[in-house]
Amino acid sequence: MPDNDPDFFLARSLKYLQENIRRSGPAAGASYTLIGAIILLGGIGYAVDLVLGQAHWFLLGGLLLGLIVGFYELAKTVFRR
Amino acid sequence: MLVQEAVQEHAAAAAEGAAEKFNAGKTIIEHVSNSGHDHPLIRLPHVLGIDFSVTKHVLMLWLVAAFVFVVVTWTVRRYLKQDRPLPTGFMNALEAVVEFVRDAIVQPNVGKKWVNTWTPLVLTLFVFILCANGIGLIPVFETIGLLDHFVLHTAEDSFLKHVMHGGTTATANFNVTAALATITFFAIIVAGSRAHGAIKHWVNMVPHGLAWPLYIILIPIEVMGMFVRPFALTMRLAANMTGGHIAILAILSFVFLFTEMAGRAIVGIGVGAVVSVPLAVGISGLEIIVVLVQAYVFALLSAVFIGMAIHVHH
Repeated sequence: MPDNDPDFFLARSLKYLQENIRRSGPAAGASYTLIGAIILLGGIGYAVDLVLGQAHWFLLGGLLLGLIVGFYELAKTVFRR
Repeated sequence: MLVQEAVQEHAAAAAEGAAEKFNAGKTIIEHVSNSGHDHPLIRLPHVLGIDFSVTKHVLMLWLVAAFVFVVVTWTVRRYLKQDRPLPTGFMNALEAVVEFVRDAIVQPNVGKKWVNTWTPLVLTLFVFILCANGIGLIPVFETIGLLDHFVLHTAEDSFLKHVMHGGTTATANFNVTAALATITFFAIIVAGSRAHGAIKHWVNMVPHGLAWPLYIILIPIEVMGMFVRPFALTMRLAANMTGGHIAILAILSFVFLFTEMAGRAIVGIGVGAVVSVPLAVGISGLEIIVVLVQAYVFALLSAVFIGMAIHVHH
């Protein structure tokens, strides 16, 4: 099929798009995990603060832990061989 | 004319007193959340303190599961009964979906060796989420509600009245997406255990050959990461499905808000015709894309996480 054929061009474009989306899968996973870790652990910290009825130390701790876990997952994806 | 009558009826009701004022936030939440236990569709007894009554989202889950089961089974059985193994009609589309999930989502992530093991699970998740998202876009219950309001006039405690409460999209419920993510969570453990053995899977979670004090930090981080992945899946799907519906309903509520502000139905109808309806149509178009993308992303991330358990790299 010739390169200047519009149908072939569209098919090739869609194929590249699909390939790029497939390659972005692990990156999407890492990004969602980063946000999820901060929300989950921050939320747990907030709930613990509510139960204990004290200042927001567990919320801060949870957010910090969420950042550590999230960035660790991100690093695992980035430095994956 | 029906819309004008409904808006005028609402405006008249609103004029009766401040207590009857239109509460956009409450109305929107009622339309996207599950029906409460005060409006169960089928009332069932409490077991161990848990109310097992069937709510709107439970009904939607049953309907979606039955729809997917009947349509897919019927199509495949009809295909298998054919003399020539050439797919026709809906079977063509079904085969394209199966091939897409297998070749574009599962195989690149889990590899050729495990593709046939994990394709059925990822395909089931994809098709189920796609149908649940898609059925949420079809105004089935709204149509039934209009029919009931203008034609049937059923009693206040009728099934039709109860079915009006709550949203239609089951995947906008965090409990539903949490259940789907729990399946992925266990699939990750099973995939790692089958690929490396039950003990080696857990050993593989942390890098080998590090100084022992580092393991004191790394093991809890890895354990937390294990729970964070399904949590991210849960939040992402439910939040995306809820967000679109809230945006549409917020824009449509302009009709009633402007009617109340001006005290005249024609103002609300004008705002609806010029702003609300065109915007809502545009966002509904975007929602069709969101329905497809969210099902795809959930399936893709499930495959990625399963693949990470199979192909361990540190």
